[in-house]
Amino acid sequence: MRRALVVLSCIALLATAAQAAEDLIKVGHTVSLTGGASMWGQSEKNALELLIGKINESGGVLGKKIVLISYDNRNDPVESVNVARRLINDGVVAVIGPAQSGNAIATAPILERAKIPMIVTTATNPYVTIDKDTGKVRPFAFRPCFIDPFQGTVAAQFAYTDLGAKKAAILYDVGSDYGQWLAKYFEEAFTAKGGEVVAKEAFRSEELDYRAQLGKIKGLSPDVLFLPTTQKEAAMAARQARDLGITATFLGTDNWGSPDLIDLGGSAIDGGYFVNLTDLSDPDIQDFAAEYRAVYGKDPVLPNPVMAGDAIYMLVDAIKRAGSTDGTALAKALEETRDLPVVSGKITVNPEDHNPLNKPAVIQKVDTKARAFVFVKKYEPGD
Amino acid sequence: MFLQTLFTGLSVGGIYALMAVGYSLIFSILNFSNFAHGSVIMLGAYMGLGLASKFGLKLGFVVAGAMAGGGLLAVLNERLAYRKLRHRNAPSLYLMISAMGCSVFLENMVYVTIGSRFYAFPEFFTRRVVTFLGSSVSVMDLFALAFSLLAIGALGLFLARSRTGIAIRAGVCDMTMCSLMGVDTDRLVALVFLLAGALGGLAGTFMGVRYLVYPTMGWITNKAYIAAVIGGLGSLLGAIVGGVILGIVETFISAYVSSILRDVFSFTILIALLVCMPNGLFGKSMEERV
Repeated sequence: MRRALVVLSCIALLATAAQAAEDLIKVGHTVSLTGGASMWGQSEKNALELLIGKINESGGVLGKKIVLISYDNRNDPVESVNVARRLINDGVVAVIGPAQSGNAIATAPILERAKIPMIVTTATNPYVTIDKDTGKVRPFAFRPCFIDPFQGTVAAQFAYTDLGAKKAAILYDVGSDYGQWLAKYFEEAFTAKGGEVVAKEAFRSEELDYRAQLGKIKGLSPDVLFLPTTQKEAAMAARQARDLGITATFLGTDNWGSPDLIDLGGSAIDGGYFVNLTDLSDPDIQDFAAEYRAVYGKDPVLPNPVMAGDAIYMLVDAIKRAGSTDGTALAKALEETRDLPVVSGKITVNPEDHNPLNKPAVIQKVDTKARAFVFVKKYEPGD
Repeated sequence: MFLQTLFTGLSVGGIYALMAVGYSLIFSILNFSNFAHGSVIMLGAYMGLGLASKFGLKLGFVVAGAMAGGGLLAVLNERLAYRKLRHRNAPSLYLMISAMGCSVFLENMVYVTIGSRFYAFPEFFTRRVVTFLGSSVSVMDLFALAFSLLAIGALGLFLARSRTGIAIRAGVCDMTMCSLMGVDTDRLVALVFLLAGALGGLAGTFMGVRYLVYPTMGWITNKAYIAAVIGGLGSLLGAIVGGVILGIVETFISAYVSSILRDVFSFTILIALLVCMPNGLFGKSMEERV
């Protein structure tokens, strides 16, 4: 008799749990919580928890509360695929992330087959939302960030026009989709402007010593050295370049934008410029940054928290307009996103390629003495 | 560019050599490859980093501290993980597997306790560069090279001249005979681990200063191990020569052929060399090598 009671109460408990689960909207989050990109990953997760808390406080979406399920993809494409499968099993309605292009490109087909929309945060490679083999847009992949051809063009334009550089050298990671494509886009744009790319050298991920490649670059005396790499690789390359007596200005991309660029690069990285998605001094993000500081006691590590914030607002808006959490309906609603107020400003999705329309880019300068990234200028697409 | 590449190759090779000596020293006496050496190097870097950034010590003290710490860690590693196996006359393969276990254990300990973040040493010689015939070398690199040579030289002198050194060399020839002659082999082995660990701590600190400090930095010791094999496992001179050769070859291939093909070339050299000279350049007799 007692056993029967226990079993019955267990069933009752499970039933209430299932009931509760139906009142929840599960949102998956694939993010690097460990490894070299963990600084942004942690900050991204913090931002999402903060914003989802706010959304839930004001009544949630369609009368339901949102829960975030974050799994660590360790900034690894294989692990990202595993995380995507786990999230599908967990029954999420949509996935936010990954932040890196290589991981996002690996994740996209998995979620597409499951008909679950994904909104990547800072994956800027064109082939995140476009299928490389067919050239068609991926129906379930979206993003709030600009794409690499634009970023590469901005970097090249800044180098040629603002820095007056005529000769550029490139050092990139051949094992990273991000670096490989940015190197290509920069080269195309810089050459089109009339500049000359005197050296394009590569290294493999996990390598530490770039002095052989840099020694070669030194002999060609470029005006700028373009480093579309992670902040740690840029820091090491900068230190080794200065040790070899290279005086070129360093130029980087949105991957640089982490405070530990300054810790790792020291005086060598001082005076370098890089393209970023947002700037802490951007008037649009001041409210968000203040709330983040109030809750976590430190600045958000840009740009990921802002982009993740854009992603969750895009998703909430799509759920409201679709009136359901069905994947195909959500994807259609996401495609029709128009002038939606998000953390970074307003967003409109281009249905052709699922990229945002008119996303600006900022140039920041590394100031190691002030330990800050100083705002230099803002580029609008079409500038 | 040729001279610049040569300098870079020497500086890369110097670090390989320093790490390879640790492998060879232990191999020479215990006839097994101590794969935990990479983790000792990594922890040596963390110790140096702690001394430099938490206590703000000068480079000399940082190096001394990391050497002492690395040495003690290696002794502890031997005492806890290898000694029992040795006393039971376990095959060297078992010792090697135990060493791999230690390596994974230590690396994950760092992940759990310190975390996966990257750290940089404070700048000791604020980016000072010496220029020689149009080629630049950083002061820190010169210091590292000089200090490494000094440390290896001192080790060589110690092995050649001192009483304990003679005991170690006797142990290299025949451990059993040595213990029959009244040498305390446990103490001897501990001393060898102390020396190898100290060199590991030194290598770790220099690596951390030049690059960055992070849990998987011991990964580069794979290269040092290859250097030791090229030179002939168990031979100190071989480790140095192997390290320098590997460093220079790699750098020249990166600069003149392609940096992406670098490892293809260096491993081809390794395989070709082992086919022609199975004992490496300076290896002695044919034994069971694992």
